[in-house]
Amino acid sequence: MARRKAGAARDGLNIILVGCGKVGVSLVEKLSQEGHNITVVDRRAAAVSAVTDLYDVSGVVGNGASYRVQQEAGIDEADILISVTASDELNLLCCTVAKKAGNCATIARVRTPDYSEDADYLKEKLGLAMVINPEREAALAIARLLCLPTALSVTSFAGGHAEMVRIRIPQGSKLDGRCLRELGKELVGPVLVCAVERSGQVYIPDGGFQLASGDALTFICPSRDSKQFLGRMGFETHQVHNALLIGGSKAAYYLARRLLAVGVQVRIIEADMARCEELSCLLPKAIILHGDGTDADLLREAGILQAEAVVPLTGIDEENILLTLHARAVAPGAKAVTKINRIMYPEAVAQLDLGSVVCPKHLTTDAILAFVRSRGASKNSNIEALMHMFDNRVEAIEFLAGEGSPLLDIPLRELALRDHLLIACLFRNGRTLIPGGDDCIHAGDRIIVVTTHTGLRELAEILA
Amino acid sequence: MNLAMIRYVLGWALAVEGAFMALPCLAALVYGEAAGWWFVPVALGALLVGGLMAWRKPADTTIYVREGCVATALSWIVLSLVGCLPFWLSGEIPFFLDAVFETVSGFTTTGASILSDVEALSRCMVFWRSFTHWLGGMGVLVFLLMVLQMPGGSRMNLMRAESPGPSVGKLKPKVRQTARILYLIYLGLTVLEVILLLAGGMPLFDALCTSFGSAGTGGFGIYNDSMASCSPYIQWVTTIFILLFGTNFTFYYLLLLRRWKQALGMEEVRLYFLIVLASVAVIVLQLCAGGAAFGKTLRDAAFQVASIITTTGFATVDFNQWPQTSRSVLVVLMFVGACAGSTGGGIKVSRISILCKTMFKELHSYVVPKSVRKVELDGKPLNHEVVRGVNVFLVSYLLVFTLSVLLISLDGTDMVTNFTAVAATFNNIGPGLELVGPTGNFGHFSPFAKAVLCFDMLAGRLELFPVLLLFYPPTWKGAFHRTRRAAA
Repeated sequence: MARRKAGAARDGLNIILVGCGKVGVSLVEKLSQEGHNITVVDRRAAAVSAVTDLYDVSGVVGNGASYRVQQEAGIDEADILISVTASDELNLLCCTVAKKAGNCATIARVRTPDYSEDADYLKEKLGLAMVINPEREAALAIARLLCLPTALSVTSFAGGHAEMVRIRIPQGSKLDGRCLRELGKELVGPVLVCAVERSGQVYIPDGGFQLASGDALTFICPSRDSKQFLGRMGFETHQVHNALLIGGSKAAYYLARRLLAVGVQVRIIEADMARCEELSCLLPKAIILHGDGTDADLLREAGILQAEAVVPLTGIDEENILLTLHARAVAPGAKAVTKINRIMYPEAVAQLDLGSVVCPKHLTTDAILAFVRSRGASKNSNIEALMHMFDNRVEAIEFLAGEGSPLLDIPLRELALRDHLLIACLFRNGRTLIPGGDDCIHAGDRIIVVTTHTGLRELAEILA
Repeated sequence: MNLAMIRYVLGWALAVEGAFMALPCLAALVYGEAAGWWFVPVALGALLVGGLMAWRKPADTTIYVREGCVATALSWIVLSLVGCLPFWLSGEIPFFLDAVFETVSGFTTTGASILSDVEALSRCMVFWRSFTHWLGGMGVLVFLLMVLQMPGGSRMNLMRAESPGPSVGKLKPKVRQTARILYLIYLGLTVLEVILLLAGGMPLFDALCTSFGSAGTGGFGIYNDSMASCSPYIQWVTTIFILLFGTNFTFYYLLLLRRWKQALGMEEVRLYFLIVLASVAVIVLQLCAGGAAFGKTLRDAAFQVASIITTTGFATVDFNQWPQTSRSVLVVLMFVGACAGSTGGGIKVSRISILCKTMFKELHSYVVPKSVRKVELDGKPLNHEVVRGVNVFLVSYLLVFTLSVLLISLDGTDMVTNFTAVAATFNNIGPGLELVGPTGNFGHFSPFAKAVLCFDMLAGRLELFPVLLLFYPPTWKGAFHRTRRAAA
């Protein structure tokens, strides 16, 4: 029996969300904005009523892995079940039950290394549509930043072949006061400036746009060219040689593994002895220090003054923020990256001089949102990745053009694109190119679009 | 307070009312009545003013609990004030306050009338009078929720303010879908009733008005003797339908989804029908013991019980003449009221059930101290907040009730009249006993008493708090001060 109705996409998808934690609530906010029919499930009645009071969703109190509760939440008609409770096991069980009870796509959040090592195996055997690991995603994002410390943020697209890099233009930089058009002559490599943020305003610039110091500039280019470009513009481009991680959380483990693999020396300070021993077995090449990471003397002893990168990864946002501020005060040359889980006060955090901020919650939400949007779209395009920038005012979306998309094989100059929308990058047969007016989109291409129109679901929607 | 959003909601409500006034215009055209002209300027005025108020959508569309309650209460007052204009302007109800009373009674689905001769009204007026029942039954704002765009939580705050019951459950994840399903069920049942009444030989106009009256559980009769002169078939059809409209609408939704077991297991619905059966049995026994014929007595008893418990207020017999026990049963039913999530008024069966369970829980704690028990409904433990809400509701209900009886006793009418007049308006029923019985009306009350009763009807329909909030000074504190940010 075909349970999914054809017209379902327009009315929004039926989504069951298990777990009303931080990520759960932030997903509810984004998904209900996009018009989906959401039912939240949580054991705690108070958590459920808090969400249903705030958003237009219905709630069920109970254990999300129980068949009866799933029935009550409408698993028969659900298109997607997303499980983001605190427990990995419960998440996996929810998805397994849902897969059997209804005919829906399932997404599980899995954070412990025990399971995430074999994420692909689990995904295949349990029939999961997606396994998301926020700690690992955050660690990878931090690792990208440590490889390019000048950047405020680095996001990868097209399976790592293209990068979107955000930098701040310092006083006296080569870029200060330059027009993008004259800049174009100097740029030998394929680089495209997609967005500029100036005193709170976000611009999607054209050729006549004049840069100034203090602007936050976002550009996209093939991953291997980003350093070259920045080097030519007079930026420091060396990757860090050593890093000090404060707190031995899961994210610290993932980050340390990644950094050790590219030859960075890693020191980890952790307060819990048992965890220290565990980490020293897992990461034999890293130096594990036992002690309280918030102790300034211990930090000096651990070499914070010599560190090229300091990454606070304690479970407490306030500690992370203070540690970053401390690191920037005592070791101004070091690259500091702050991981913030909750961000209740984005405006206040933006005022602090924190440099780069990584937020696992947003990474998770964006990844799931990309999946959900693709589900709601037609078959001839697919969203591969999605990123929100500048407080959700700008979206960068990576589409996969399928056969039968109406945009295929038409030169870009002939496409009537929407305003405030930029085709930033094409990825074809392993090559990244910055498209000109004569380029066409072919089936199988990946297209990265940067736009202020939030909520695009398919490629055809980039047309005016 | 977000005054701009309240203005916006009020504007929409007005515009919708103006649009619906096209229906009595149509009736006037069909019957060639000159009185129908009065609807045209009022409808156009409402559309214009409402349109202007809702023209610019506020930048901030959030509605918090306070705004939701104030917007709801104000919109019901505005709807009544505008809705009464045709009656008054056309001179068919010469006194303004009387016209207001009649319209408030219509929108709140009370059905209490100040008219002694209904048949003297022109047909378009009768149609509008009955149609206000239909609009008020499910609620104008619930209708608006299908149309308006606003943030999710805001919709919920509006819906909660207007929907009856201790807690509002949504049938679907989105308020908009829930509102649509509720209105579809409502419309479907109404159409079904019209068809069945037509099949019984009732003229179309009468069938429509009777159906509006029963759908909203309102009870404005279109004949002077309410429904006494209707055929037994029509009386039975009406009995069944008012009972159906007094049932929790979730029941129908579950039936539509073919979840039979869950539907038939709904505690409130079962209790509701149980109360109806028991009351009918008591009245039939008493009347038959007095020597009445069984067939007609059963029909009359069933009709009166259904009409009172669902807070409709139609009558087929002057129950004022019944023996004391039967009269008392009806007065008790006035307070019980219909199910939550229906179009009926009163305290609601689910609240009564929760209150009784709380009482037994308390008793139990005397027998077995320190025992822990949760109050359950439909097999699910109830949130403490809900139980607390029900208790507070009862207290406020009794306070307002007592105060109202006190205030209208200034008129000097007898105790039973005063008591049942307040009971009949506060619970949105219509007729009470003695002077306000099925053959009487509310015309003899002083203007002051009428104003008090109007307040009671609105407070009863919106379940107290939205209306009480209007009279609570802190609600308005700082409402009219521009914040520095808004001015900037």
